[in-house]
Amino acid sequence: MKNLISRISVLAASALVIVGCEAVDPSDVVNPNLSEAALIGQPNSADAWGSGLERQMALVSQETHHIAEIVSDNYVNTQTFFNQFLDGLSIDYQDADLNAQAFDIARLREMANYGLNEVLPNDPNGDAENTSTFQFYLGVAHMYSAMYYRALPGSEAGPLLSRAQHLDAAIAAFNASNAASANVGALIGVARCQYLKGDATAAEAAADAAIAADAGGGHVSYINFDAQNGPTNTIQDALYDRGSFDDLQPLPTLDFLDPKYAFISAIEDSKIALLKIEEAHLIKAEARSAAGDDPGAIAVMTDVINLVATRPTRDINDNVEQRTQRNEGSRPDSTDITVNGRAGLVLYRGGAPVTIPSISGTSYTAGDLAGLTGDGLLTALYHMRQEIFIGEGIRSMDMGITFVMSENELLLNSNVSASDVEADIPSFYSGIDVDAITYDPAARTCTVDNDINAIIVANKTSNYVCPFH
Amino acid sequence: MRTTKALLTLLLALCVQVGFAQSRTVKGTVKGPGGEPIPGASVIEKGTKNGTASDANGMYSISVSSGDAVLVISALGFETQERKAGDGNVDVFMRESSEQLSEVVVTGQGVGVSRKRISTTVSTIDSRELKQSPAMQVDQLIQSKLPNAQIKLSSGQPGTASIIRSRGPVSANTNTTPVIMIDGVRVDNLNSNAELSIATGGAQSSAIADIPMEDIDRIEYIPGGAATTLYGADAANGVLQIFTKRGKAGKASVYFESQVGQMVGTADFLRWKQTADIIFQPGWVQNYRLGFSGGTDAFNYSFAGSLYQDDGFNSVNEQVRRNFRTTVAARVSNRLRYSASLAYSNSEYTRDYNANTSFARYGNLEGGQNGNLDSLSDDEIQALIDDYEAQGEVTDITERVNRFNVANNFTYDVSDNMKLSFDFGLDSRVSKQQELGTNAMLISKGAVADGTTDQGYIEVFNRNFLVLSSNLNLTRQDEIGDFSFVSTVGGQVFRSNDYQTFITASNVPDGSQSINNSADQNAEDFYNTVTSYGIFLAENVGWKDKLFLDFGLRFDGNSTFGEEIGLIPLIKVGGSYVLSDEKFFKDMVSSDIVNLFKIRANYGEATIFPTAFANDRTFAANAYNGLGTFTFNNPGNPDLQSEIAKTTEFGVDLGLFKRLTASFTYYKTVTEGALFTPPQAPSSGQLAQEKNVGEIENTGYEIALNAVLISNQKNRLSARFSYNFNDNIVTSSGGAPEFAVGGFTFLGSFVKEGQPLGYLRGAKVVEDGNGGYEVERNSFLGNTFAPTFGTFGIDYVWNNKLSFFLNGDYQFGGQAVNVDDVLRYFGGVNDADRFPQEVLDAGITSFFDLAGYWVEDANYIKVRTIGAEYNFGSLLDSRIKNLRLGFTVQNPFNWTNASFDPDATGSGIAAQNGFAGGGFAFGTESAPRIYLTTLRVNL
Repeated sequence: MKNLISRISVLAASALVIVGCEAVDPSDVVNPNLSEAALIGQPNSADAWGSGLERQMALVSQETHHIAEIVSDNYVNTQTFFNQFLDGLSIDYQDADLNAQAFDIARLREMANYGLNEVLPNDPNGDAENTSTFQFYLGVAHMYSAMYYRALPGSEAGPLLSRAQHLDAAIAAFNASNAASANVGALIGVARCQYLKGDATAAEAAADAAIAADAGGGHVSYINFDAQNGPTNTIQDALYDRGSFDDLQPLPTLDFLDPKYAFISAIEDSKIALLKIEEAHLIKAEARSAAGDDPGAIAVMTDVINLVATRPTRDINDNVEQRTQRNEGSRPDSTDITVNGRAGLVLYRGGAPVTIPSISGTSYTAGDLAGLTGDGLLTALYHMRQEIFIGEGIRSMDMGITFVMSENELLLNSNVSASDVEADIPSFYSGIDVDAITYDPAARTCTVDNDINAIIVANKTSNYVCPFH
Repeated sequence: MRTTKALLTLLLALCVQVGFAQSRTVKGTVKGPGGEPIPGASVIEKGTKNGTASDANGMYSISVSSGDAVLVISALGFETQERKAGDGNVDVFMRESSEQLSEVVVTGQGVGVSRKRISTTVSTIDSRELKQSPAMQVDQLIQSKLPNAQIKLSSGQPGTASIIRSRGPVSANTNTTPVIMIDGVRVDNLNSNAELSIATGGAQSSAIADIPMEDIDRIEYIPGGAATTLYGADAANGVLQIFTKRGKAGKASVYFESQVGQMVGTADFLRWKQTADIIFQPGWVQNYRLGFSGGTDAFNYSFAGSLYQDDGFNSVNEQVRRNFRTTVAARVSNRLRYSASLAYSNSEYTRDYNANTSFARYGNLEGGQNGNLDSLSDDEIQALIDDYEAQGEVTDITERVNRFNVANNFTYDVSDNMKLSFDFGLDSRVSKQQELGTNAMLISKGAVADGTTDQGYIEVFNRNFLVLSSNLNLTRQDEIGDFSFVSTVGGQVFRSNDYQTFITASNVPDGSQSINNSADQNAEDFYNTVTSYGIFLAENVGWKDKLFLDFGLRFDGNSTFGEEIGLIPLIKVGGSYVLSDEKFFKDMVSSDIVNLFKIRANYGEATIFPTAFANDRTFAANAYNGLGTFTFNNPGNPDLQSEIAKTTEFGVDLGLFKRLTASFTYYKTVTEGALFTPPQAPSSGQLAQEKNVGEIENTGYEIALNAVLISNQKNRLSARFSYNFNDNIVTSSGGAPEFAVGGFTFLGSFVKEGQPLGYLRGAKVVEDGNGGYEVERNSFLGNTFAPTFGTFGIDYVWNNKLSFFLNGDYQFGGQAVNVDDVLRYFGGVNDADRFPQEVLDAGITSFFDLAGYWVEDANYIKVRTIGAEYNFGSLLDSRIKNLRLGFTVQNPFNWTNASFDPDATGSGIAAQNGFAGGGFAFGTESAPRIYLTTLRVNL
């Protein structure tokens, strides 16, 4: 009997082992996340990937626009929340913000390439629109690489591509985008790239092509944000959403243009213009100026002023703005204050909502341009660019300031040497605080200490600025 | 109310009534040093073969030749005693053996093996030490009792995490918590916030806090190295094995225990004593235990249950624990035995906001939100008391945990020398955290304007964790001539499923505890599933019971491995030699001087497996303006596998004058293929990927001393002391740049080649050589793991009735950051003389640049438990077999040179089960001081 019990027990134990193994079948571990098979070969996967690229562009903006504005003379950072180093033109390869920016630009490029090479060819519903989208963002990735860096790899830990190489790659991608499906934004992108290459003829031709293609005459390619799910608009946060913190303060000459981005609703953030038709006109004007055709340049700049006048504005309640929170009243904060002898540049925010241009604004009128020639005209043109592109991350490019690759790229990419991560800041800014102002609250006057537009033009033949010279 | 509750409890404890027992020729009871009965003790008439054994109640009776006969009483783990038969009534109190070479240990061997045979160290905590401790959670229970492990409780909030470490961190990918097993079955050892936990500040929730604690008989701990090779997955941090009691054949025995006391907040580390006045309130602690056991030779059983409740040390904290454990053991046949334990625990905690949230009461007070409390008037302090009390009343953060723990064991005697053992079981832990963020709470915190009604929210976090495990071992023991063999072949498999959900409901009207009553709900989830399996062979060869060699080979597989990785082979080899058993040694040195001299050496490999699913390439779909979008997610790594900690160690065990034992162990552990998740080159555009690229080295030594200072008929005084030194360094990062594993942007915990794991990195002000100062960014500021640590204890027993005991621990050489003072700096009330004035005068005033000044040495000596107990022995004609009255104080004495509590530095753990070096003292209370009286009655 005991023997029988023993045998039954052994059998039972054996059965338990087998059942136990079955219950914990190692092959039964399923990753709940999406594999490549959930994407590649699926109908409409290219559309979803394209939307992913658009979202990635918003992530690029999160790491780009506010730091590009801080490093320029457009804005000074008065708090500790956003980047604390760039204001003093302290461009350091250990700055985590620069690592994040380069990462997101590279991710945009890699996503575009993956879309073109893997997603699109396998999507039974893929079409030319998808090609156009992927090529467009590939172009933007290369264009940003050239705008913000003097050299940057164009592939994972790959060799450094010069600005010219990135610009050529961007031009090719933008053209491919437009060829696949008409894309005015891509044509404006070509114009910006040709401008940065310093090829006035090609740039003007590209600008003309963009203007011609823009049937409505007011094209804007936007970066869109998702206030609910993210990515949210970081520069909107810096300019407005953090309320009484008053993080970023504009140069007083630009006060009337701030904040370009402000709260809309809990589900919608302000859009940022990625490429807008004003730029094509301004490039064309600069090409005319470089060619010695001042009247031609003025004519185009007048077109820009007229175009800007058609752009929308928003009434924004900016009561909590204290200019600044840390030192209230330390910066001009009322309409009666003149800046550089000009009135009307500073708004009073304590009362009724202020009216701010949403896309483009300028203090220039056609009359202001009359009689301007040579460097005076070029200075006005750069000032106009500064006003029209405020908050769009373009001013640093105009100032000839570039960032550097990060420590991580240096350590992980054998093609990068220590000299590649040294900052290269134009010598004409040495000893200059580009954000400095002198404000006399009693006299109701303010002076911007350094006219950066004049400095740019005075150094127009340097390789850093004014590409057509 | 609290007083009434306490009086009732005391009354109940004193009113316990009792049952009976009896005797014969020479009779008596064999008891342990604490008065507990020792069953199975051998009682032999000296010089004869006449003998018997004590029964389940420690009682024996023996017929001896005359009253002059001498009884020799021996039991495993105790010193052999001799007593005259005398008038026929001989009770014997046994003393613990200081050698313990015959003690059988299980952990690390696969099967039970005598300590003598093994070349590794195993620390044990026996039932007497466990009984002395009033601890309510396992990490508290073992704190300061293991010679080679350090346990730091990172917060005084209930149910929170600890840092348990022994030989230094072997991994940058996970914390130093050992694998924990109960009766051979793995249990959830998550010792940090879960992936989706509610973020209420720096206090980290812990699964260790609610491990069922009833009827723990013995705890074994091995610190890693060769001892853990056979465990494979995750055992590189060591293994903590908990063994539960089993019923004994004989008449049923019953015990009842009540503990009543008070808990007060520890004010030793406060910046302002007023903080204690404002938010600390003493709370009652009460715990009641009831247990019984009994059975026959063929079947036995035990049951133990407890009910614990405390009011915390402030008006918000409270915890309730309900535990029970049932065990059964049966002889199914002559060859087959079955035993099982089933435990359940239910824990409920209420917590306050902590550390990294502006709602934290303690954090705000100590962080200077209310200015310098010393400068406030009595009226202002009273206003703060009222305000914080009001905040406490509307704070509602709860965690509820239900946990089942089941272990089954089948042992089949294949033959006299061959045994098949099969364990299987599970640990199921279901926890729910809930935060009711009412409008009233937000208003009380000043977060929203008075009258706000649309900002209320509820956050709910659910975690459902299940681990199933089974082990199968076949062991054969042989003796051939002078050789003895213990051969084992076995296999293990476990699978863990971790499923988490997090739900946020917004615009919830006050009064609702349901997420349904809200304007909007958001949810997210998280899965983590791991299957691990392995087979092993082990051989322990002994020669003349003096020289032993140990070999082991394991093949380890895991679902977290990349597709290119199959089974990983792990080996161990070791040897030990008991020189003191050699004749030449005995001839050379008297055994009265050196009674033990054992040398040992070994090499072994142990692993920590990768993060679940880190091997797979994945894509993410994100909502974006109403569109479905795709993007890259985890890049994937087909070559991902466990990191392997390879340990070489040697040591010596010494016994001197039969009074002192000393153990010395040197170890060197090199973690090869250490799992790092460093950033990729930015140009890749890809997220950081877990890789086997690093190498980490831990070298150190462990010294443990146990001394019997006084030992005579009436008195026994023993002391223990341990000293551990660990040097940790990242010897290679595999070319990866340094990366953060915790902390903050201005001052973080980083992994970098040439530095200790988790070193503190931040700006440091240095002299520039021209009489001025400059800031060195990203400098080394400190080591979060103190290189030197140890434990100490004193135990005095008088007349086998009265005993005093003390346990403590210490650390030296580590650093930590006083983050509270960083916050005080923003409030303009930072510690005086924190910064040299000349540095401030030089214009260095940014908190980024001043970071280094907040790093302090974090040395401490702490007495964790001090207590006394009295054993009244049998009373009322033995109706009460034993009555014990005890008094303990937990955390009675603290010394530190830091301006904060070096224990409460657990904030900053970046991920679930992520690297935890501590090092950030940040807005959380220290473990409270607890005064407890214990009354235990054995019937």
